[in-house]
Amino acid sequence: MTKPILVIGGGVAGMQASLDLADRGFKVHLVEKSPSIGGVMAQLDKTFPTMDCSICILAPKMIECSRHPNITIHTLTKVQRVEGTIGNFDVNLLTEPRFVDEEKCTGCGLCSSKCPTKLSDEWQEGLTNRKAVGVMFPQAVPLKAYIDSEHCLYFQKGICQVCSKVCPAGAIDYEQKPKETDINCSSIIIATGFKDYDPTELGEYGYGRYPNVLTAMEFERLVCASGPTGGHLERPSDHKLSHRIAFIQCVGSRSHKKAYPFCSSVCCVYATKEAVLVKEHDPASEVTIFYMDLKVYGQGFQQFVDRAQDHYGVEYIRGRPGEIRMNPITKDLAIWYEDTNTGKVSEKKVDLAVLCTTMISRPENADLAKILGLELDEWGFFKPKNHLLNPIESEIPGIFLCGCCHGPRDIPESVAEASGTAALAAEVARR
Amino acid sequence: MKYALFLGCTIQSEEFGYEASVREVLPALGVELLDMKGASCCGFPAFSSISKLGWHYLSARNMAIAEEMGFDLLPLCNGCHLSFIETIHYMETDPDLKEIINSNLEKEGLSYNSKCRVVHLLEVLHDNVKPAKIRSSVTHPLNGIKLATHTGCHALRPSSLQKIDDPEQPQKLDELIRALGAETFDYPEKNDCCGSQLSVASGVSTLKIAGEKLNAVKSYGFEGLVTTCPFCFKMFDGRQRAIRGVLKDRSLQVPVFYYTQLLGLAMGLKPERLGLQLNQSLDDEIIMKIRGEQND
Repeated sequence: MTKPILVIGGGVAGMQASLDLADRGFKVHLVEKSPSIGGVMAQLDKTFPTMDCSICILAPKMIECSRHPNITIHTLTKVQRVEGTIGNFDVNLLTEPRFVDEEKCTGCGLCSSKCPTKLSDEWQEGLTNRKAVGVMFPQAVPLKAYIDSEHCLYFQKGICQVCSKVCPAGAIDYEQKPKETDINCSSIIIATGFKDYDPTELGEYGYGRYPNVLTAMEFERLVCASGPTGGHLERPSDHKLSHRIAFIQCVGSRSHKKAYPFCSSVCCVYATKEAVLVKEHDPASEVTIFYMDLKVYGQGFQQFVDRAQDHYGVEYIRGRPGEIRMNPITKDLAIWYEDTNTGKVSEKKVDLAVLCTTMISRPENADLAKILGLELDEWGFFKPKNHLLNPIESEIPGIFLCGCCHGPRDIPESVAEASGTAALAAEVARR
Repeated sequence: MKYALFLGCTIQSEEFGYEASVREVLPALGVELLDMKGASCCGFPAFSSISKLGWHYLSARNMAIAEEMGFDLLPLCNGCHLSFIETIHYMETDPDLKEIINSNLEKEGLSYNSKCRVVHLLEVLHDNVKPAKIRSSVTHPLNGIKLATHTGCHALRPSSLQKIDDPEQPQKLDELIRALGAETFDYPEKNDCCGSQLSVASGVSTLKIAGEKLNAVKSYGFEGLVTTCPFCFKMFDGRQRAIRGVLKDRSLQVPVFYYTQLLGLAMGLKPERLGLQLNQSLDDEIIMKIRGEQND
């Protein structure tokens, strides 16, 4: 009997690694800090360059993870302690209470419809509200409600308890306590993913001050049929449909003044994808992408950009805009830029501007690195053993890296790395 | 709070209303202003274009006088303020320059020892006096009149040196205006230049730049424009007639104020004491609107 393998992070990379291992007959413990697996890919509308529905690809994998006899999913869970070496890691997990009995909850959502507490919905990128109790998103796995005890009236003020009164399954359990689990595993796969860069500090783009300046992640929710507007491109200030939309690339990346010097490695192509989505919504829309260089090196990416230009009529302007200005009355935006192909300075008037932000490291990486005894690079990403020859291995034998935990990368690369780490972990387990 | 008051050339030769209003309102808020004996031009921009050393020498000389007095230096003009800030930067990064300047200052018995702190009027009012105290000293609030702010380029840039306010979204002057019971909001042209730096090279361009800003201010329904820089003020106020001529638009009328003039009005001081009769862009109507409603 081989030992199980620990996978940290339930995004597409962590799920791919888990499924690969599970299909080979190895037991996997998949640890996820939020109430559902899925990660950022679950929030995306479409994937580039094939324009497939993101959740349609991901949801079957999520369900496969939950149904696979060899995979145990630990949601709301963090790694607390790790001791030992390759082939013999003693891991201690801490699972925060869900305050909902997973055995009883059917995911009907009645609790959330009756809950009186409204909060900004992080999963919808703050574009709408959620309740203090409910299922994280419609395709959540496990499809179980959870109580946000930091905002729940019962936990904060000892009142309400409406959810427990309305729950037909009697699943609400305010008495649940944190639970510790000890696991002995042969190897560990880190797949903690990334955090979206917050462009508020870039005052010139007015994010946070101008309602019609969105990040690309916010745009993903706006354009998505399961988003707050049902996929209609209503801009936040007045809910008017946006027909003139600009995408600004390299926001927070390739900058030496503020933010980060590295390339986001995805924003050229995701901006193209989002631009095409706008054109598919309304072919008469005016869509502009402001870019520095088009770094479209992946399989089919260049053809994708060509199609956006030639077939869909997306306008590409080479130049990094210096400023976005907002008319205080109409809330329309004017983007000031230099077209570096012609040297001309102009302004572009738009209804909505989308900042194509970079991926940055997860803040939790710092704690996890300490627990595992690993080093992070200067930007908080995990360091591979060797960039050229051991890109998915950490400095410690038996601990592997996949996806954005060690730098920005796209979905295909994350998935390929995940399969790579699964192969390496399988090798260790078989010894 | 005591400061060595540096007036500079523009104020002493043309912008008397600014000085008058500053001398009225700051002491009333507990800010003591000390005159500087033997102060000269800061050296910017006239000297800086022909001799960097001459420019830095003049700026350092004024800071040396303030050091001798033992007080922080308060220049009222954005240009003078930046001139001092840049001179400090160049002397701190180039010890040779500091040495040359000090050897020349020695002849007058002066020396610059990096002790002089240079403060901006917006810092004094916003960070030291604070909007809450200003609000409590207001006896005649400005009745929600809508005013556009113009902080001015030299107070904000270069952002690596000028740390008065956020270079992309300055808010201090806005908060100070709200403290007087007036209204203000961000507008796209808020950080646009007044154009005065181009006046030597092209008189028409400079007027067009200022005119575009005034037109914008008017289009958002602002009833006036407020600044604390004498150079910007001169551009928008004194040259407004010329702007109307260049733009061929007689209807372009925007009342322009120094912040300290409005502060004085809100504190119940008489317009003459604040030099408002010297503002060329004001008509009786706007003063009536501010004062008349108060008298009712």
